[in-house]
Amino acid sequence: MEIIEKIKTNKPDDNLTEIQKICLHKLQSSPLPNPKNELWRLSNKSKLSNFLDYSVNKKDSKFDIPYPKNSQSTIRLIIGENCQIKLINKNYSIQQLSEDELQKYIKEQISFFRQNENWSDLLNLSLSCKKNILGLKINGSKIPPIEIFSHASSNSLNAKTLVIFLEKNCDVELLQVNLGKENSSLSQSTFFCLKENSSVNHGVVSYGENRSNLLNSLNVIQQKNSSYNLGTLHFKFNYARFEISIKQSAGNAKTNIKGLQITKRDEQISTYTKIEFNGPNGFLDQINKSLADNKSHAIFEGSIIVPKNAQRTDASQLSRNLLLSNLAQIDTKPQLEIIADDVKCKHGATISQLNEEELFYMRTRGITLTEASKLQLSSYFQEIISFIPISKDKWDLLDKLLNEN
Amino acid sequence: MVNENLVKDAVKEPYKYGFVTDIETEKIEKGLNEDIIRLISQKKEEPKFLLDFRLKAFKKWQKMKEPDWAALGYKKIDYQDIIYYSAPKQKEKISSLDEVDPKLLETFDKLGIPLTEQKKLTNVAVDAVFDSVSIATTFREELAEHGVIFCSISEAVKNHADLIEKYLGTVVPASDNYFAALNSAVFSDGSFVYIPKGVSCPMDLSSYFRINSGDSGQFERTLIIAEESSSVSYLEGCTAPMFDTNTLHAAVVELIALDDATIKYSTVQNWYAGDEAGIGGIFNFVTKRGKCLGRRSKISWSQVETGSAITWKYPSCLLLGEESVGEFYSVALTNNLQQADTGTKMIHIGPKTKSTIVSKGISAGNSKNSYRGLVKMGTKATGSRNYSQCDSMLIGDQASANTFPYIKSQQANSEIEHEASTCRISEDQLFYLQSRGIEFEEAVSMMVSGFCRDVFNQLPMEFAAEADKLLALKLEGSVG
Repeated sequence: MEIIEKIKTNKPDDNLTEIQKICLHKLQSSPLPNPKNELWRLSNKSKLSNFLDYSVNKKDSKFDIPYPKNSQSTIRLIIGENCQIKLINKNYSIQQLSEDELQKYIKEQISFFRQNENWSDLLNLSLSCKKNILGLKINGSKIPPIEIFSHASSNSLNAKTLVIFLEKNCDVELLQVNLGKENSSLSQSTFFCLKENSSVNHGVVSYGENRSNLLNSLNVIQQKNSSYNLGTLHFKFNYARFEISIKQSAGNAKTNIKGLQITKRDEQISTYTKIEFNGPNGFLDQINKSLADNKSHAIFEGSIIVPKNAQRTDASQLSRNLLLSNLAQIDTKPQLEIIADDVKCKHGATISQLNEEELFYMRTRGITLTEASKLQLSSYFQEIISFIPISKDKWDLLDKLLNEN
Repeated sequence: MVNENLVKDAVKEPYKYGFVTDIETEKIEKGLNEDIIRLISQKKEEPKFLLDFRLKAFKKWQKMKEPDWAALGYKKIDYQDIIYYSAPKQKEKISSLDEVDPKLLETFDKLGIPLTEQKKLTNVAVDAVFDSVSIATTFREELAEHGVIFCSISEAVKNHADLIEKYLGTVVPASDNYFAALNSAVFSDGSFVYIPKGVSCPMDLSSYFRINSGDSGQFERTLIIAEESSSVSYLEGCTAPMFDTNTLHAAVVELIALDDATIKYSTVQNWYAGDEAGIGGIFNFVTKRGKCLGRRSKISWSQVETGSAITWKYPSCLLLGEESVGEFYSVALTNNLQQADTGTKMIHIGPKTKSTIVSKGISAGNSKNSYRGLVKMGTKATGSRNYSQCDSMLIGDQASANTFPYIKSQQANSEIEHEASTCRISEDQLFYLQSRGIEFEEAVSMMVSGFCRDVFNQLPMEFAAEADKLLALKLEGSVG
């Protein structure tokens, strides 16, 4: 693990930014997460070390966008490529964050980081050079949909960081696409700050090619009366880990999350979510679906934290899992930690296979077993995919998933 | 708005069992080392295999670390500051109940445990354990007629050494966990039950554990073996006096069910929980596990946990036999500064196994109540099913309720369902009851009892009255 060795030695390097130096320093004493920690216990050690085996990419290769631009108005950004962004319209403005703003915000975030809980972010920020950090300030309304791409080139480790400030009363649709090339590792950290009364439909689609790895972390802070809708899809990664941390900083905010992860062959994909309510009247509706086939392993761990000041919180979390092979495995752990008494909190988890009665019914109507299974899977996927903004009409993800081998 | 103080008062009930029995006891010196273990073994005139078992466990324990993963915070336990053997002094051999020290009988009488004349009125056989030793076991002759063995584990070691040697440590091995290893090294007494093939135990069996001294720990061990096509219902109750020091209780319970056998194990745990400031109380670290070895065997745990300053307890089922069934029904009530981390483990190993988990947690005051459970489907558990439900009720805004279910499946042809919810006493329902002339306290009790009904329905009839008495809440009418 070349990178870990580098972190351990931590040679003074003038090319490093201040943030990189801070993160390297934080990681130096224990550069790897503790494998006994609850958040890393189930993570496949050899796959994680495979992730870290590549050397850091200095120069991005040419990037092909996976699907055509569906409308002229859509704003497309590629992290690492767009240097100057300044879109000012009478209704809205999208501007790059100044270096000072960016530094200040990231530094503040780092001060709350803990070694095991935020290891992915610390690694990302210690590797992400200035060019690969994209900071945006979005303001206004009637904003055209935004697509942001992040990608990893073959045989290298790529670290990309995205910081977005959504100003007051702003409303936006944003799709983030993370793509991994063959034998690559991508570390993507996203920081989202939703100011009062803002609302976002956020989609995260991550897919890889043969033996690609992903560490994807998403940190969201929601201020009062903001609304955050998140639709996510992760598939075709040898190893992928998706960490979501959402904090309703003063309550009175709405969060909807619908996530899907699909594992095949010997892949391992995991989702860890932590939702903290730091004020009253918070709302959460979360569903996470997993499908595990062949010899793969799908993991979901979700925690909901409701402290004393978060009275009248209404939170629900559901983990639904399909296990399609006897060699595959699924681990799920929805958690509730509650101190406030006037709350409605519930969670549920199921692990099952395709419904035999439904399959039988379809077969009696002349549908083959393969087709019937596809139909069932498509309804299972559809609930999540239809929640992912922008892509739903033009980019046929469902087709991609069902015909994927 | 509900007046929170009123609700808090409604769940408050003074601890009735906090008295100390003034009786001369024989204690060994404080501390834990090989010599102490040899001394305990020698006092109990144990065969060599048991001494070896203890010493092996002690060696393992020395290499182990106290677990810290539970959502519990307590001051470090000094294992050298505990007396590992304490027994009331009495005549060498007791042939009948009449020879038992009247003070002891009085103690159990005060606790409502029928050892003497009362025993005739009830149909429950009792094994009473006072500190480290078993005082008396009732109804033995009647049980013997059916071939049922019910005695203290010390007696079983002497009279049924073959069974002890065959089964002890097979469900909870000495190296299982820190507290099980400690128990295996120093266990003093407990109950032994053997139900022969085809026998349905004619009465409920019960053991009652009483800690009397403040500086000695209690380490009892229970072993229940149900042979083919037999069945038994076993009840367990516990209390302790009020001391301002913390007393350690680390027990191990092992259940073995062979083909078509059924074991129902019910507990009402009401150890002293410490005072309102959190001073004193029992540290309760218990390992309970049942092995459904035979086909169609069934093990059912039901528990009402109201006492102890710290509760660390996960009664579990290993479902090995085809079509075996595991059940867990639990009510855990915490108040003041009590902390409970309790739940179950259902390990599905054999095919077509089924398990049900119903857990109700009530947290009041500044207490912390966590459900922690594991459901695991192994690769051979085809056609297996699990259903879990954990509900929490919060009273006051200082208490916390946590749910940590671990769910793991390696078998595609199996189903797992889990649901959990959190609520508080609904103001609407409270208002409705009060508008019908029901007193506030009674209305709260009714609602709490309604919340726990699923679990209380599982408690055996004979136990119901006792459970009712022991529960710190007034749960009238719902039990049984």
